[in-house]
Amino acid sequence: MIALTSPYIWYTSRISGVISLVMLTLVIVLGILISTRVGGRRVGRFEITEMHRSISLIAMIFVALHVVTTVIDTYVNIDWISAVVPMTSNYQRLPVAIGTVAIDLMLAVWLSSQLKERIDPRAWRAVHFSSYASFVAAAIHSYLVGTDERSLWGLIVLGSCVGVVLLATIWRVVGRPERAVGRTALSPLEQSKRR
Amino acid sequence: MRRTVTFRLVVDPVRCDGFGHCAELAPELVTLDEWGYPVMQAEAFPQSDRELHRSAQLAVRGCPRQALALQKIISA
Repeated sequence: MIALTSPYIWYTSRISGVISLVMLTLVIVLGILISTRVGGRRVGRFEITEMHRSISLIAMIFVALHVVTTVIDTYVNIDWISAVVPMTSNYQRLPVAIGTVAIDLMLAVWLSSQLKERIDPRAWRAVHFSSYASFVAAAIHSYLVGTDERSLWGLIVLGSCVGVVLLATIWRVVGRPERAVGRTALSPLEQSKRR
Repeated sequence: MRRTVTFRLVVDPVRCDGFGHCAELAPELVTLDEWGYPVMQAEAFPQSDRELHRSAQLAVRGCPRQALALQKIISA
């Protein structure tokens, strides 16, 4: 088929991989903003949660696009099974497997969130933490097999993504207490201060 | 005798972690205490109040800890 040998599928595969990493960065940072109770004055806290939810969906769509274009493209020989089962690719076995692990973790996080009402909140939380591992795997994967990641702009994008997530994570751990900081602009204490 | 249907937004205090989303999404029904935890309006609202119903639904859906429920009260 002519369409399947088009170089544009390969180009789409490359750029959708880069965009996926940027999207994952955004999703993780928004998640950290939720857990640290940011917002309440200019931006509603619920709006940050909504953005986290909807951008995670967009990220998944780009990851799906990345997988589909990589598999159907004939430039590299990767089977459908390699999208979910690690170490099955003939091309760049380990680096592709690391990307597969990132996808599997992503799927676990996504599924557990879909089932959030039915599963134990602590179990959900534990699974949700693997999004950090997923990001690390995605970053390593993009450095090892990313065709564009060794170029200057590729390294800039990868470096900023890793840097942003690292800083946000440090801020989450040391920066703010996790609980009992729940005041928003709407709480009575804050309202009385404004009056 | 006609039955009357009313609704009330209730919180599960064990699940609640004080994210404060409910007070933003349903300010008519929820106020926050000093520590950011929700205080629910005690009296139920009538079924006819579509606006309150919508706010309550948004709060239930928007809670990051699934701590809210919209309780339907049928009284004879």
